Amino acid sequence: MIEAGYNKYIKVLVTGASGFIGRKLCLTLAEMGYQVVGLCRNINHPFLIQHRNIQFIKGDVMDELSLQKAMKDCTGVYHTAAMAKMWCRNEQDFYDINVVGTRNVLECALNLGVNRVVHTSTCGVWGPTLNLPVAEDDPRAVGFPISYERTKYLAELEVRNYVKKGLDVVIVNPSRVYGDGPITDSNTVSKMVTGYIKGTWHFIPGKGTQVANYVFVDDVVNGQISAMQNGLIGERYILGGEDVSFNGFFKTLRELTGKKRRLYKVPLKLIKAYSVIEHFKSKLFGLTPFFLPEFADRLKFNQQYNSGKAIKELNYRITPFAVGLSKTIHHFQKNT
Amino acid sequence: MKNTALITGASEGLGKSFAIEMAKKGIDLVLVALPESGLPHLANYLRQNFDCQVFCIEIDLTLPHSAAAVFDRLDVHQLSVNILINNAGLGNWSWFEEKSIDFYRAQIDLNITNTVMLTRLFLHHINKHLPNYILNVGSLGGHFIVPKKQVYGATKSFVGYFTRCLQMELIGTNVHVSLLSPGGINTKPELLVMNNNLKGFAKATILEADVVAREAIEGLFKMRKEIIPGFANRLLLIIDKLIPAFLKELIIRRNLRAVLSV
Repeated sequence: MIEAGYNKYIKVLVTGASGFIGRKLCLTLAEMGYQVVGLCRNINHPFLIQHRNIQFIKGDVMDELSLQKAMKDCTGVYHTAAMAKMWCRNEQDFYDINVVGTRNVLECALNLGVNRVVHTSTCGVWGPTLNLPVAEDDPRAVGFPISYERTKYLAELEVRNYVKKGLDVVIVNPSRVYGDGPITDSNTVSKMVTGYIKGTWHFIPGKGTQVANYVFVDDVVNGQISAMQNGLIGERYILGGEDVSFNGFFKTLRELTGKKRRLYKVPLKLIKAYSVIEHFKSKLFGLTPFFLPEFADRLKFNQQYNSGKAIKELNYRITPFAVGLSKTIHHFQKNT
Repeated sequence: MKNTALITGASEGLGKSFAIEMAKKGIDLVLVALPESGLPHLANYLRQNFDCQVFCIEIDLTLPHSAAAVFDRLDVHQLSVNILINNAGLGNWSWFEEKSIDFYRAQIDLNITNTVMLTRLFLHHINKHLPNYILNVGSLGGHFIVPKKQVYGATKSFVGYFTRCLQMELIGTNVHVSLLSPGGINTKPELLVMNNNLKGFAKATILEADVVAREAIEGLFKMRKEIIPGFANRLLLIIDKLIPAFLKELIIRRNLRAVLSV
């Protein structure tokens, strides 16, 4: 890629620079010529992508001084740092990192006179779909048993507060993100894909008809950058992809990899029962659970999201699922 | 005749969940909520996603003539309802002297006066030859003495007494009245923060609004007198009935001291 020159000397901050989305966002911005400051807790983190336009600064969204240092002279801030796991040992971490951390970033941006913050939220703030794909103005139909979704919703309320205080913030809401990148606790799609390739993934939940929305990581990054340039202050934009069922997901995987794996359809009731055992395992022994009841309950619902607003207002584009998945598979086959 | 439900306080929390659960059943809706509370968005969502008609009334129910205005609007638009869900309410978690007199007036007007007036007007509005339902939202707190909920708990005790009386008066008619006595519900964002910190049994008494709404509507159509959603909450009430009064007071005082020392 030829590095663009017109963004030279424009300094932007990316929090969560070692995250699944953050690391690729850093790279894309750097390739566009921006002077990127990447905030991460460990500047020797193996997931960080090195580039001459990226400067990594050791810090934490919970450490206000490190935020001030990293944000100095930045015109824009991309806030992607979050506790995005399904489970963490200390439940309070979800609140601290996702809500207090976001508040810290916004407060710092307000004090330093940053032009715009793009806050990365999630479609999880809407949760399941009752009938038609969810759009931005739709209400949330169910409660918030999942800590990640609850705290990300509370983080959006913080954003609304700071917009009232005069800070320019735009929210983007990616759906289930997949793509080339590290296999982490927060990315279930990578686990399914690599598990299928290796032959260690054996099951399909329920009848496999449950539909979810899958967004390619590059689309999210483009959506974030476009939100910085073209988004309207205080607005939310769903950055989604294609709606695909579990059956469709594994069918595409089979076609693209050419590998035929035997997959067993596991009844939802069995998954729920197993998740309850996992729940107690994590409560009693502090062991990382494979699956939790609140996620088992979610398998009853579809999670479909409508990206129409972003397509119209941000010129957002969706990479077809088969194309994105094929790139993802290539990446894993090259790197394992 | 198709069922039509009038739901107050419908834009957020439990009221929103009532609206969604009713819409899922294909029941037409008249939703009442404060202006600027996002009611039209909710109404649109329900119309698009479910097979139901939705009519919105944006009004402040703490004002003296609002209850009458609601039924006037129904008459003007020639709408009739046969289900009333008295859900709108104002809570508090504060020492008595911390809130202003205006707050308590609004709280009592909304939780008590408005419930009484809407119920009275509803009984005048309905066709008594067909089945009609009223669901009054009380609180499990109405059964207990809970400090820092003094006025709220008292208004909910009122709703409980009022509902039980009506049930007796309306025996043998086509009007069925249920009392919903929920424990804690994860509704408002502030509560989400507070309930975030609860653990153990206390956490088990907190339910999601959609769960409460589903149990309540099921109970209403089964014509149950009182609906207490959640196993932990039903257990709590049984324990409460078994413990002698002096012991209860002791427990509450001890807990109060813990609250005070924080």
